Amino acid sequence: MAGGQQFAIFRWRFLRRLRPWILLIGGLVIIRSTKGALFSDAYAVLTRPFWPGASQREWLQSGDQLAKQIRLNLLEEDNNRLRKMLELQASSKYGVFSVPVISRQSKGWWQQLELGKGSFQGIKAGSAVLGPGGLLGIVQSVTPTTSKVRLLTAPGSQVGVWITRTKHHGILLGIGTNRPQLTFFDKAPQVVKGDVVSISPASTLLPPNLPVGVIQSVNNNALPAPIATVQLLAPPEAVDWVQVQNFDD
Amino acid sequence: MIRHQYRALVCATALLVPCLSYISPGFLALMGIGPSWVVLWLLPWALEEGSFSGVLAGVSFGLILDSISLGDVTQIPALVILGFWWGRLGRIGIPIEKVFSLGLLGWLGSVLIGLCFWLQLFFFKRPVSVDLFNSWSLHTIFAQSIMTALLTPIVSSRLLLFFRSRSNSV
Repeated sequence: MAGGQQFAIFRWRFLRRLRPWILLIGGLVIIRSTKGALFSDAYAVLTRPFWPGASQREWLQSGDQLAKQIRLNLLEEDNNRLRKMLELQASSKYGVFSVPVISRQSKGWWQQLELGKGSFQGIKAGSAVLGPGGLLGIVQSVTPTTSKVRLLTAPGSQVGVWITRTKHHGILLGIGTNRPQLTFFDKAPQVVKGDVVSISPASTLLPPNLPVGVIQSVNNNALPAPIATVQLLAPPEAVDWVQVQNFDD
Repeated sequence: MIRHQYRALVCATALLVPCLSYISPGFLALMGIGPSWVVLWLLPWALEEGSFSGVLAGVSFGLILDSISLGDVTQIPALVILGFWWGRLGRIGIPIEKVFSLGLLGWLGSVLIGLCFWLQLFFFKRPVSVDLFNSWSLHTIFAQSIMTALLTPIVSSRLLLFFRSRSNSV
């Protein structure tokens, strides 16, 4: 009886001495099973005052932007060189002007903008006029200090475009309404609502790949080829300043 | 002296037509489309001065307005017809002074100009973009004619009184 009592006391003392270790290992098992979440959170809370500040983040972002800009310039140069070899219209960054809109008629019989710069500032007839987001129209005539722009929505306006996703070409026709009409050359252009429309790389009038708009609806039953309605990216009734982009001759 | 002042004022009011066409004030627009400013000036002028002056004014305004717009269409034919018609109306029958009559003539003038554009667009632009019966042309004609008809009794009646004051004073 005394022996059994002694054994019980020994077992209790042994377990008491082992308890911290059991707790420690149990804790570690929990940490292991949660992939160290507690550790990570605790570390984050404790080290938050020492995290890199916003200035460092901006520095990284500006570095990233610079790298992208350099890469874009290199690609543009490469693209222009290849386009020259193919005798296609080249785009250039060098003829870009910011120009104020001094008169605007975005609805009605004439859909045109009057810009506050002209041939004295280097603007030429045929230059592309860009609003925030995309192409607005084409400079139709210039005076020494002003330029007239025919909007893409104006009746009679015609621009060669393509669907960026499917590479199908068509002509964007102004029909007077806010949304010009895109007439495809192919009978099955495989275009869907939301596809992006941009200036065709084969265009000889405008710099290639300028964004124009987004497909709003498609009529696949139209003859002789499907037609689509395009929502322009740049709303002409809301712009006070535009960018005029000349391109290399 | 009075004659010179009168001529200067006539020129100043006439200059307002291309200026307002350029400015196209947004608060005087119905769904983005403003009135036909030339109708507001030509109507009292032709009523008071007769067919010949009306036709001359129509041609002059047509040339000016065609020069400031990019359009491949012209408004000279419509303005010539209106100048002649309103000039005849002013010379025969009772003088047109009532607000409703002026508003109706302004409305008809604006509709005629719109129809002239519509037909020109149809015949010259049909192969590429514009159908004969398109909602945009109809919308433009109605919005412009309504705005013109609303402003004619206010603006043209004042101009008519001004042009008439010359014949009384000179």
